[in-house]
Amino acid sequence: MRAWLGGIAAALLLVVAPLALPDPVATDFGAILAPPSAEHLLGTDQVGRDVLARLVVGARLTLGTTLLTVLVTGVVGIAVGLAAGYRAGPVGGLVLRFVDLLAALPIVLFGLLATLVLGPGLGSLLAAVWLVGWTPFARQTYQLTVAEAGREYVEGAVALGAGTARVLGVHVLRNIAPALVAHACLRFAGTLLTVSGLSFLGLGVQPPTPEWGAMVAEGREFVFAAPHLVLAPSLAVVLVAGAATALGRRLG
Amino acid sequence: MSALLRRLAPLPFVLLAASVLVFALPRLTGVDVPRAVLRARTADAVPDPEVQARVAAEFGLNDSAVVQYLRWLGAALRGDLGFSFVTRQPVAEVVGDGLAVSGVLTVLALGLAASIGVPAGVYAASRPGGLLDRGLSAAGIVGVSVPEFVLAPWLVLVLAVGLGVVPAVGWGGPQHVVLPVLTLAAYPGALAAQLVRAETVEVLGRDHVRLARAKGLSPGRVLWRHGARLATTSVTSLSAMVVAGLLGGSVVVEVVFGIPGLGRGLYDAVLAQDLPVIQAATLAVVVVAVSAGAVVEVLALVLDPVARNREESR
Repeated sequence: MRAWLGGIAAALLLVVAPLALPDPVATDFGAILAPPSAEHLLGTDQVGRDVLARLVVGARLTLGTTLLTVLVTGVVGIAVGLAAGYRAGPVGGLVLRFVDLLAALPIVLFGLLATLVLGPGLGSLLAAVWLVGWTPFARQTYQLTVAEAGREYVEGAVALGAGTARVLGVHVLRNIAPALVAHACLRFAGTLLTVSGLSFLGLGVQPPTPEWGAMVAEGREFVFAAPHLVLAPSLAVVLVAGAATALGRRLG
Repeated sequence: MSALLRRLAPLPFVLLAASVLVFALPRLTGVDVPRAVLRARTADAVPDPEVQARVAAEFGLNDSAVVQYLRWLGAALRGDLGFSFVTRQPVAEVVGDGLAVSGVLTVLALGLAASIGVPAGVYAASRPGGLLDRGLSAAGIVGVSVPEFVLAPWLVLVLAVGLGVVPAVGWGGPQHVVLPVLTLAAYPGALAAQLVRAETVEVLGRDHVRLARAKGLSPGRVLWRHGARLATTSVTSLSAMVVAGLLGGSVVVEVVFGIPGLGRGLYDAVLAQDLPVIQAATLAVVVVAVSAGAVVEVLALVLDPVARNREESR
């Protein structure tokens, strides 16, 4: 319960905090690459923009994109995994092989090709992560469903005349839901790293929009003069990903 | 044998499907090929339509898609992947050079990850709840939460800027290998340690290990000869995953450290819309990923008699 309250408080903070912080795209040439101070808690970047403000506004984009991706790929992957796992014959096996094949290819390849086809921007980033992001969900759900499909309660439901949709949607899904929630936490961490990693390569949102991965990339040029430019956004990525991973393992 | 065939049978179809997609790629991008070629060579904003038509004829772009595909596939199978729009170098050469560089990085990173991760995992399994075990499970979370694009600048900050022991970027000497290999080895190393630990703990509880103990074998012998041995299977399957990821996915590391590998080549080609290089590099990544997966499935059958028997009896 405390964890949920903490999560809600953090989400509220991301909505409210920008009101109290400086404009994330306003430049101040009087304070370029300034170290952290009372005025700029995390210092300023190469054109005098407040790093904390960019971090907080960037969080909405980075974490929002990640959350949306986990929801979309989760729904698709769970549906595929349920269907393939319940009919785990040759067809289910074929689906699983396709899933493994897609998952074996590096995600950056998809990011690059999506950028080539659609042009750089948030759209091609989403296309790439949505195209392959459902595969881990599908694999996990497949395994859980196969294990569950042989249980007595499933046989009972079928014997009572429940259709496939009802058996899967009501009975199986409800029983594997806790494991799927744990998996979703791990996927949140993985997706966050993918989204910010692609943005780091310039394949996501374009400047001057603040985004954590893009901020790390921008800060890298000034790593000698102003290490806080790299440290602030990269620590943000690591802390959130680590928290989601720890939560997923605790639940799983 | 039939198990082996069943594993390898889909490979040609997968590669064929990949080749069709790669062939179709330029058509999906909407890039006007003759125009792109001319622009890359002459930097002319408005190319002469007559020249453009000649280039189209030279590339055989007026034939039907099927004819073009078969011609392209035939050439690709002979190792002729065309010429880069930008540098006019043979693409096979560009991709081959990149593959060699990325291969060196991959082998070094995988070697480092295995030589640290496997012993650490086995040792942690021998003392569950011990200092190394607890440290390892913490390191496991950190290992999967620190992506390459974060670890690379951190290592630069500490080892290149702070201590000044290695250069921050570049390629050529052994000193340039340190930072990229450390960056690439962190995640597979953490994963291998966790996997080996879990496997070894499980194996140590099995009957044959208890028998070995009961016979009076020393704890060290039991651990390494009997406990850790089965963990090789999972490490092989892990390395397949990692090889595909490392070869194609080392884009971040190669871009950050300025290494002329396959990932960097693909990245630069996408930025320059250098279609032949993109096609060849994509094909190379797919072939490596698919064949790494196949090799591991076969190895798993060879290494694990239990899995082999299960497959044969099916």
